[in-house]
Amino acid sequence: MLCGATVRPCDKLKNMASANPFQDPLRFERRIPECAVAIFGANGDLTKRKLLPALYRLAYERRLSPGFAVVGISRTPMSDDQFRASMRESVAKFLEDSPFDEEVWSGFAQGLYYMAGDIGDSGAFSNLASHLNGIEECRHTAGNVLFYLSTQPSQYAAAAKGIGAAGLAAGNGWRRIVIEKPFGHDLESARELSGNLHEVFRESDVYRIDHYLGKETVQNILAFRFGNGIFEPLWDRRYVNSVQITAAESIGVEGRGGYYQEAGALRDMIQNHLLQIMATIAMEPSATFQPDAVRDERAKLLRTVRVMKPDEVLANSVSGQYGPARIGGADVPGFRQEKGVDGQSQTDTYAAATFFVDNWRWAGVPFYIRTGKRLPKRVTEIAIQFNEAPHAVFGGNDDGSTPNLLILRIQPEEGISLRFLSKRPGAGMKLRPVSMDFNYGTSFGERSPTAYETLLLDAMIGDATLYTRQDMVEASWGAVEPILNVWQNQKFDFPNYDAGTWGPKAADEMLARRGHTWRTP
Amino acid sequence: MSTTIQPERVLRELAELWVTLGKESDPAHSSGVLRACTMTLITLVEESEDPSDVWSTMAALMPEHPSRAIVIRFHPSGMRELASRVFSQCWMPFGHRRQICCEQIEISASDASLPDLAPVVLPLAVADLPVMVWCRSARLFGLPEFPQIARIAHKLLLDSSAFPDPAAILAQIQRTGKVAGDLAWTRLTRVRELISQIFESRSYLARLPELTQVAVTYGGTFPPTGAYYLAAWISECLESAGAHPHVKWQAAPDVGAGQISRLELTGPVEGGLHVAIFVSGDRAQQFAEVQIDTLASHAVFPPDNDYELLREELSIPGRDAVYEKSLARAGRLAAERQ
Repeated sequence: MLCGATVRPCDKLKNMASANPFQDPLRFERRIPECAVAIFGANGDLTKRKLLPALYRLAYERRLSPGFAVVGISRTPMSDDQFRASMRESVAKFLEDSPFDEEVWSGFAQGLYYMAGDIGDSGAFSNLASHLNGIEECRHTAGNVLFYLSTQPSQYAAAAKGIGAAGLAAGNGWRRIVIEKPFGHDLESARELSGNLHEVFRESDVYRIDHYLGKETVQNILAFRFGNGIFEPLWDRRYVNSVQITAAESIGVEGRGGYYQEAGALRDMIQNHLLQIMATIAMEPSATFQPDAVRDERAKLLRTVRVMKPDEVLANSVSGQYGPARIGGADVPGFRQEKGVDGQSQTDTYAAATFFVDNWRWAGVPFYIRTGKRLPKRVTEIAIQFNEAPHAVFGGNDDGSTPNLLILRIQPEEGISLRFLSKRPGAGMKLRPVSMDFNYGTSFGERSPTAYETLLLDAMIGDATLYTRQDMVEASWGAVEPILNVWQNQKFDFPNYDAGTWGPKAADEMLARRGHTWRTP
Repeated sequence: MSTTIQPERVLRELAELWVTLGKESDPAHSSGVLRACTMTLITLVEESEDPSDVWSTMAALMPEHPSRAIVIRFHPSGMRELASRVFSQCWMPFGHRRQICCEQIEISASDASLPDLAPVVLPLAVADLPVMVWCRSARLFGLPEFPQIARIAHKLLLDSSAFPDPAAILAQIQRTGKVAGDLAWTRLTRVRELISQIFESRSYLARLPELTQVAVTYGGTFPPTGAYYLAAWISECLESAGAHPHVKWQAAPDVGAGQISRLELTGPVEGGLHVAIFVSGDRAQQFAEVQIDTLASHAVFPPDNDYELLREELSIPGRDAVYEKSLARAGRLAAERQ
């Protein structure tokens, strides 16, 4: 299978420089160290549509080491050349906003290998060990391996066990494993999965993908909060009245009704992505920007989210499901009319909840989180509403209550807005709200890396900032599970909002009880 | 043309510009105009140069490096002449409804008015933000009055490959004592990245002390400043790793003047570590073939144009220790060779 190059004597390592003298951090992008990626489920959609195009793109951007290698593993019998041909076709088809260069591909494909194997077969892992040893020798990967489980979550435990049994979890270099959500479907199953993984890998070597919150976004929020001296003193219960986090989609389930009805909005979005956003907004400053320091503070915040008692759930959460409507001149089906969806489904396509954080900084401040499909527009934002001025010096203003509002926009256009009152030009002292905007500009036409490029790069470099840790997973489940437990015993009168509207009336009522209203983005 | 410019008048014109832009945008149908500025970028050009090239580079830079752009166009004349005009450059990012605008000032000046420029230009710089001065003309850089303009810069930018005498310009850059950016150095970033990537490998890193020769192949009759920079940087890095390299210069008659076509790092032992990078193509598209022992790869570089180079340099407003070290050594290499 592999080349016939001889191994260089290891005694050279004795004289090794401890660091690469050619580094130039001011100008160079971060380099991915020599390594191999072993993809389980290599013949599947994720590999073809996302993983290989992302890896090719990293090669095109000159981010990969010359000896970078991929071993694809799946049950389909295939030779290395057949795998390379198949991946070439996929990459050429699914590459986003990038040219396909034959010569770059040719060099990249030299490092692609394949082996057929079943996760349930221990022989497959022995075979993989042999492959990886050969690759280490001729591709100079230094024994670094990233195991990517592009398989059903139900196979994660078996894959980890097989890796461990074949001695693949340890070697000359680092060994890491990447898995995608869902990380269990409740707290108990999340713990069980974690236990299975920890039998083989240390927590620091487990990379759980939560790619909703892009690196740029997290960094922008942290930079805004902790890079400036003027906002953090206001960032607590004395000045903040409430926080709203909205993740709205205008599309429906897009043909994935069968998968979605097993999940629902609360599991699919709030349990992971939106609670992560909340943690980033509400966390204490970390002493450094090291990934674990940041994750420590986010995990700490999640542990302080108040767990609802059963009798508090219905007053502090809303479940919704969209019904049919006419939008833009076209008829749009309701969720129950979507393909693969049970006509009596009780799955939530909309979820809203009021959370509280029980710590000194946030005591008494409601965090309103909502997410839904078939809402009027696609938008993700965080709106921080400040307390009003304690005394109306100017005798009130024509626009009624206009508290200061800080909006952190995540998508579609990332940026920050600050709303404050200003005097209207002219005679008299009338105030009006004005908005000061800052947009994070990516250059016009400049390509942004795809989520998988960033995730794969970070996993290979060993930067876990974007990845979720087990304690964060468990804390999130702890906050959400009481809601799920109550909801699953309810018979909701669905659908309760029309497609194209901002969700059920009950969500408005939830805020109205505290004198608040949802912001219309 | 008048003999002077009044900065206050120019600033008033800029203020009126924003009022006009605000009125022109219809609040009912747009999100208004957003002003953006992160620096003052002063560009010195010869009047004979096509201004559209410069302005298109400015426009391309604006989204990432919005600035008050001041372009000073010089014409050789013994008369002291200065004139200005003010306008804006706006763009609407894809998918947005709001225009983002930057201020632009164009100043026409004679060589004789160079001593008058600093007092005029300094008040036009945006307060509290860095001032970058980009000198596109070798002639202007060499004028005795140039240091007066350079004095107001936080960072001075030039392209030493446009200068006829590499040793002289490398020495001159060092003598400015300013934070400097040389596009001839910037042009090397992609090749340097490739080399750095190779030695991310522990096994190759361990063999660095084996390397004793840095061979640079170039077009033209003498090595361009880029070649001196590259050899200097590699030599510095190898020495810090315990190697003792010497530099070998190879002229290639079939390669365009000023271009670097090949770089090889070798040791004295046959069959020892051998790293070779072959560069081909032109400014629109360059390619590199990388060979390390039995491994080979192909790389595609972004276009080599002012926009790509400047956006990198403008991202580094402060001192660049790697560059400064390489500059010093490159100066010595060039002086030795002359």
